[in-house]
Amino acid sequence: MAEPREALDEVGQAQADLGRAIGRARSGEDRELAGQVRERGEQISVLLAGLLKLTRVHAPDNHAFDTPVAELARALAALDELLGTVHLVTVEDQVYVNDVRIRTDGRSGAKDLGLELSRHNVGGISFHRPLGDAQLRKLVGALSSAPNATAPRRTLADRLGREGLGSLELQGIFRFQTTVDEGARERAPEMVASRLLALVAEAFDAVGSGRALNPLPLRRAVLEAIEIGFAVPAFWAPFEGHPPHAAHAAEVAFVALLTGRAAGFAAAYLQDIGIAALVHDAGYLAPGLGDDAASLQRHGVEGARVLLRQKGFHEAKVRRLRAILEHHRDYADPAGRPSPGGALLRLAEDYVNAVRFYGAKITRAAALSAVQRAGGAFYHPALAQLMVNALGAHPPGSLLELRDGRMVRVAAPPASRERFALPVVQHADPATRRPVGPVFDLPSADVVARAVPG
Amino acid sequence: MRPRTPDQLDSDATARPGEQSEQGKAAALFVTALAKASRAFTLYDAKNALVRQFIAEYRARAEEATSRGPLALDVLPFDLSRAGEVVYHEDDRERSLAFKLFRDGVRRITVQKGVPFGELLELLQILAIRFTGIRQAEEDVVTLLRKAEFGGIQIVAVEGYVPDEDEPEDSPGTGRDDAGSRPPAGTDRPFPRLPAPGPLAWREVPETLLAALRAEESEGALPANALGLARQLLALAAQGQVDPAEAAGYLGDLRSFLIADGQLEMLAALAEMAAAQPPGRLRDAVLRGLADARLVDALLAAVPEGSHQLPPEAAKLLPFVPAGAVLDRLADEPSEGRRDLLVRVASARLPADAEAVVARLPGLPADAARELWRAVTDRAPARADDASAALLDHPDTDVRVLALEAISRSEGRIASAPLVKLLGSPAESLRIAAARALERHGDAAAARAVATALTGRKGQSLPEAEALGRALGRLHPAVAHRLFEEWLVERRSLLGALGSGKREADVLRWAAVAGLGVLDLPDAEARIQAVAAKGDADLKRYCAATLARRRAEGRRHG
Repeated sequence: MAEPREALDEVGQAQADLGRAIGRARSGEDRELAGQVRERGEQISVLLAGLLKLTRVHAPDNHAFDTPVAELARALAALDELLGTVHLVTVEDQVYVNDVRIRTDGRSGAKDLGLELSRHNVGGISFHRPLGDAQLRKLVGALSSAPNATAPRRTLADRLGREGLGSLELQGIFRFQTTVDEGARERAPEMVASRLLALVAEAFDAVGSGRALNPLPLRRAVLEAIEIGFAVPAFWAPFEGHPPHAAHAAEVAFVALLTGRAAGFAAAYLQDIGIAALVHDAGYLAPGLGDDAASLQRHGVEGARVLLRQKGFHEAKVRRLRAILEHHRDYADPAGRPSPGGALLRLAEDYVNAVRFYGAKITRAAALSAVQRAGGAFYHPALAQLMVNALGAHPPGSLLELRDGRMVRVAAPPASRERFALPVVQHADPATRRPVGPVFDLPSADVVARAVPG
Repeated sequence: MRPRTPDQLDSDATARPGEQSEQGKAAALFVTALAKASRAFTLYDAKNALVRQFIAEYRARAEEATSRGPLALDVLPFDLSRAGEVVYHEDDRERSLAFKLFRDGVRRITVQKGVPFGELLELLQILAIRFTGIRQAEEDVVTLLRKAEFGGIQIVAVEGYVPDEDEPEDSPGTGRDDAGSRPPAGTDRPFPRLPAPGPLAWREVPETLLAALRAEESEGALPANALGLARQLLALAAQGQVDPAEAAGYLGDLRSFLIADGQLEMLAALAEMAAAQPPGRLRDAVLRGLADARLVDALLAAVPEGSHQLPPEAAKLLPFVPAGAVLDRLADEPSEGRRDLLVRVASARLPADAEAVVARLPGLPADAARELWRAVTDRAPARADDASAALLDHPDTDVRVLALEAISRSEGRIASAPLVKLLGSPAESLRIAAARALERHGDAAAARAVATALTGRKGQSLPEAEALGRALGRLHPAVAHRLFEEWLVERRSLLGALGSGKREADVLRWAAVAGLGVLDLPDAEARIQAVAAKGDADLKRYCAATLARRRAEGRRHG
């Protein structure tokens, strides 16, 4: 229990806060678990390197492989039990297992693993499932074979796939960055959006394969988006060329983030809600779920079960779980209101779905208005109004007919209260109604003749 | 924790202050203070006074280093530099602040003049977490630094490690066994019936409303939110919508967090929630999952300094505190007050954990062993003899005497071998207590050891002789009777007249009188009276007392 606050001076309070923060962080990672990961990880890397060396003397079906292969299978199974997917990554002379650095202490063995893998242009292997004796011998055989002159990693992956080792994921060579890469922080919004969409697809693939969600890459992508801000057209353009579920997730995420930011939530919270929005429909991947009403009710719980695969306690995980579990709960639900995260997702998703389902018949402004007017019943009324304030009188994607007869598409939300009805727009191609040409500010509300569905 | 002195922390990191500009020196001192403070948590408990000292130094050095303006530090694999001057160098990757920052993608840190102490602390916290080796799937240093939303600290950071291929291959295997996982088409229906749309207008939302909304997700609300989620998951598990193991896993994780956060009240609520589940797989999984050795720390941390009272919430947690963990702590706990608390916790685990408690009694401090032995005899009487027998291995003589006294009163069956062994103890009190215990629990085989103890040891006291004599009489009456008669014969030889011989003869006579007192012989009393008639005043009194005791015991035993 914390010491009485009044009894502590500033430094003492700082010490107590730091101790508490570290304790909280520790609760997210079982030290015993980390120790086991290190121990088993070292075992795996040493055994795998040793087996690869052994292939210089014997074929993988030789009895000399029996014991080390059995040990490797046991170690992999033990780590799979602990971690789910096992990511073995070599970076320069270092070996990492699920981000835990394995001590090589300058010894050969684990240290040599990177060299062995690099022959195939491989820097890491992700074991999405444990492997049996025969599968490990095939893996060792494939890794010890001569690399293909061109695209060796792809060739190796193809061979592994043919030999029934499709659950293995090969990664490229890594290095520690040695130069300041300012460009990484100034990525084009289009690239950030594209990366985010790709990550959603990957996350759904992982979930569909029964793996735990890896939130870190999603967090980085969301963080990039938040840092860029939401006034950029790239975040509101139709995400064509991407799977519909990824596009839907990104649309919900951007609306939720925009509204959340308007509510004054801190960046940390927005990151968490952004991730939740990106995977909010992962529960639909559960066996037996379809497009019926029962599945609508059920997918929130299934989504929460997906998140529960991730071990350890973290504030972000709690937020995600609550948000996803409650993202179809009504604000006026007699059982209780949803969490703010759940309320944000509910609001954002219903607006996005209203456009998706009825956008051909009604304008986006009408969809937004209908959602807003259901505030207090289905939605948090304050958040609903904030969404209106943030998306504007002509939400992004709206098709507007100008008084001069030209059509424009709203490219992004209004930058300020003053521009509530004056968003940035692009001309719409008369034939396809797709946005074309440069973005420009709508000069005055008077130039708009009407909003058009579609 | 490895014992290291404050000076050893980063003592190898070189700053070369003599070769540096004034600002370089200040920067070097700041960086060294930062490195020390961030590593301190790996070496010391967070409450240690040294940690406080490091934090204070870090703060002071930061103020000095930024007194003339912003301090920009470039991060290199083994160095930190300011305006090209190396202000920190450490070759050891494990110890190097520079390497950890560099490896995590941090390339430059700029600390502005007048940076708030809160931001300095947050920076320290992030680095300390990194140094402590905590790794989570959720965050890395880069996301933590960016999330912090520093105003007075700027971070240039990039990805930790990146692909290193001149001609990147397409990502081949993604580990997928299929073409990709997608939800079914047409999901999220039926769509709710919404009101008819109306005009849209920008409206101010009162800040009070928003503040309340944000407060629901504040850091302080986390324990309650997490507990609420646990309640939901348990309800879903009870309905069969969530697997009991999944719910139990979450509850276990939450328990770990609440322990770390010192949230005893929330822990108690969690325990209550788990215990309220109806019997079945879910309840079993949850109860099993909540037990954790670290609960001991949470319980102790909740007791104010100087208090010996467990808080009321503790009662709800006691079923989840493994006795083994309590006993481990008890064995090493230097504070008497804390030992007292731990004894209470362990006692509360009785009778369920009596076996574990009994097994650990010999290794516990004397006061704790004594109290727990009493607790076992009170709350697990069936294991009382085992507890007493276990205490015979305790190093403290008084504790062993206590156990022997209990054994001598016990009507259960207790092995005589450990008692016989104690007859050879250098401590007389133990020998006497062992002899008394043997009087009840010995057998004919033990009689030889008792007789040997009487005749083989010199300088015995009369009370010891009395105890041994009684034991001998009980264990082997026939042999004892013969020996007693022998010892009662007055020897008037030259040797017998010598002092030492007389003393030994007196001791044996004393033993014989005591032994006769317990022998079931018709002439035993007459024999004692005869000894008294010839004896001196002491012996007369002793014989009278023996006879009185014999009669009292005779009445007791019918």
